[in-house]
Amino acid sequence: MKKNIIELKNITVAFGEEKVLNKLNLSIKNGEFVTILGPSGCGKTTTLRLIAGFANPNEGDILFNGENIIGIPPYKRSVNTIFQRYALFPHLNVYENIAFGLRVKKVPEKEIEERVSDVINMVNLKGFEKRDISKLSGGQQQRVAIARAVINRPDVLLLDEPLAALDAKLRKDMQVELKNIQKNLGITFIFVTHDQEEALTISDTVIVMNEGVVQQIGTPKDIYNEPKNAFVADFIGESNILSGIMKADFLTEFSGKEFTCLDRGFKENEEVDIVVRPEDVDIVPSLAGMLEGVVTSVNFLGVHYEIIVDIGGFKWMIQTTDEQKVGDKVGLNIEPDAIHVMKKSKYSNLYGDYSSFSDEIEPISFNNEGEI
Amino acid sequence: MNGSFKTKTKNKNKGLKLSSPYLVWSLIFIVIPLFMVLYYAFTTENGTFTLENIKGLASLDVLNSLLISVLYAAIATLLSLILAYPLAYYMSTVSKISQRTMIMLAMLPMWMNLLIRTYSLMLILENNGIINNILKALNLPKAQLINTPGAVILGMIYNFLPYMILPIYSIMTKFDYSVLEAANDLGANGFQRFKRIILPMSMPGVISGITMVFVPSVSTFYISQKLGGAKTMLIGDMIERKFQGEVNYNVGASLSLILMVLILISMAIMNKFSGDEEQEVLM
Repeated sequence: MKKNIIELKNITVAFGEEKVLNKLNLSIKNGEFVTILGPSGCGKTTTLRLIAGFANPNEGDILFNGENIIGIPPYKRSVNTIFQRYALFPHLNVYENIAFGLRVKKVPEKEIEERVSDVINMVNLKGFEKRDISKLSGGQQQRVAIARAVINRPDVLLLDEPLAALDAKLRKDMQVELKNIQKNLGITFIFVTHDQEEALTISDTVIVMNEGVVQQIGTPKDIYNEPKNAFVADFIGESNILSGIMKADFLTEFSGKEFTCLDRGFKENEEVDIVVRPEDVDIVPSLAGMLEGVVTSVNFLGVHYEIIVDIGGFKWMIQTTDEQKVGDKVGLNIEPDAIHVMKKSKYSNLYGDYSSFSDEIEPISFNNEGEI
Repeated sequence: MNGSFKTKTKNKNKGLKLSSPYLVWSLIFIVIPLFMVLYYAFTTENGTFTLENIKGLASLDVLNSLLISVLYAAIATLLSLILAYPLAYYMSTVSKISQRTMIMLAMLPMWMNLLIRTYSLMLILENNGIINNILKALNLPKAQLINTPGAVILGMIYNFLPYMILPIYSIMTKFDYSVLEAANDLGANGFQRFKRIILPMSMPGVISGITMVFVPSVSTFYISQKLGGAKTMLIGDMIERKFQGEVNYNVGASLSLILMVLILISMAIMNKFSGDEEQEVLM
């Protein structure tokens, strides 16, 4: 069992009336790659700033290796940050940016040279030492930011959406590189992102946050396969979230039919939320399936089709490699291990059906003449 | 390729058209007068070429004036910098509304004419001025304030301080705050952060502030006449006297030429420190 390096206890942060973090409890194990995942405004960046020392909580304790660090200024913490837009020093070149942390600590010149050249090799920036920061590409700036932080050998590296500004392919490469760097250094990385795919790819542990509260902590697989509530299920990946009833252990009812499932431990006839991932649904000929519906939309995404099927007014999303046509009647089969049962929460009924993909869009309405 | 080249020349022509009124203006009021200065400086009253005007300036009087002008201007610039820098930094950290108010207050004196501002300073510093009246009311001895070097330097600071505040403030508001946080994050305490990050990043503003205070200070004549009395003869006073009093355009022009060279040299020194970013701030 690894030791906890950081523990947040009952942390509340409020800006005026608005509580950004609400009695947040969190512990982070030493040497792990931890991702804090959540939509914007969920308090993830504030959490990071608390650990870095740029902000202080209104209530609660922050323990670092068991010691309370509230009130200790950022420059005395063994924590370094990689900022969202890198925050490189514009008046210093690559070498001096990287050497900054050692210079302020008055490390001997010879050691600075050695350590800078080590990290420059690590992030593949050899030959760029004298380069101006403004003459670097986004990916190179990112590397300088990483080198500048890790050269100080912090116990914890904080990363505030560091890949947000990179294009999709570079982003994937950097994810792999960050993961490798973390493994090689063996230090704790706390990575903040709103990109769920990135979080699943990169992390040992994912912390899902919303509205200043931790929703779930677990491995990427746990989070995806066993979401704790409708918010997590909706935020991580695509999911059909339905209201259902737990008839008995291993037996649930939704969409008017009974299904065998692998979940148990609920009260008899307890109301629950059911999650079915779009890739776990099989499309079969009409009447041969457990459920029946009409295809209302088909999107071709390259790898597969994304099909919306209307079943009794609830729009299911199904990912399949078989093409279907709009208006077709189809049957759906759902295996017991594809069904995940969750307790009801305050997020029940907020998400679920695929009339729209996001919760923000209002459908455009046409009048009779077909004008908007 | 061809197309983009065409647009470029087209834009250039358009730019030329748009700026032509100013170009004409600067030709008449800047370029031609500059050549007239050159002409007068190197000719006699009869219009024949001579170096005598310039040679004649190699006197103790002129040297003295030059030295005093540079010294006073340098002191005024330094004190302005000391006053303006912390203020500008403070201004850049407060809320937007407070920033606007403070900028207003800093700019307010600039809305008044320099002559009026200097006159009002005279009223304050005079032997029977406001300060001495207060001292008198308190039964304290009178102080000699007007007609001292201190009064001249005070006048320079009073008149030109906003030109120091504005460029420094404007560069500081452009600081990315996360860069300052990054310095702390990497282990710099407040003083190290100032020395290694804030100061060097604000340098372009400081340089242009220094230029904008030093140049008008070194060439002023009005401030020294009103606040320095007859004793202080700055180079600007000397030039004014040659043109207005003695009506000797040739000597006056050569003095101006020397002052211009002096200013150009100090600006060149400044530019050496600042690189090319300074232009941005000056604009």
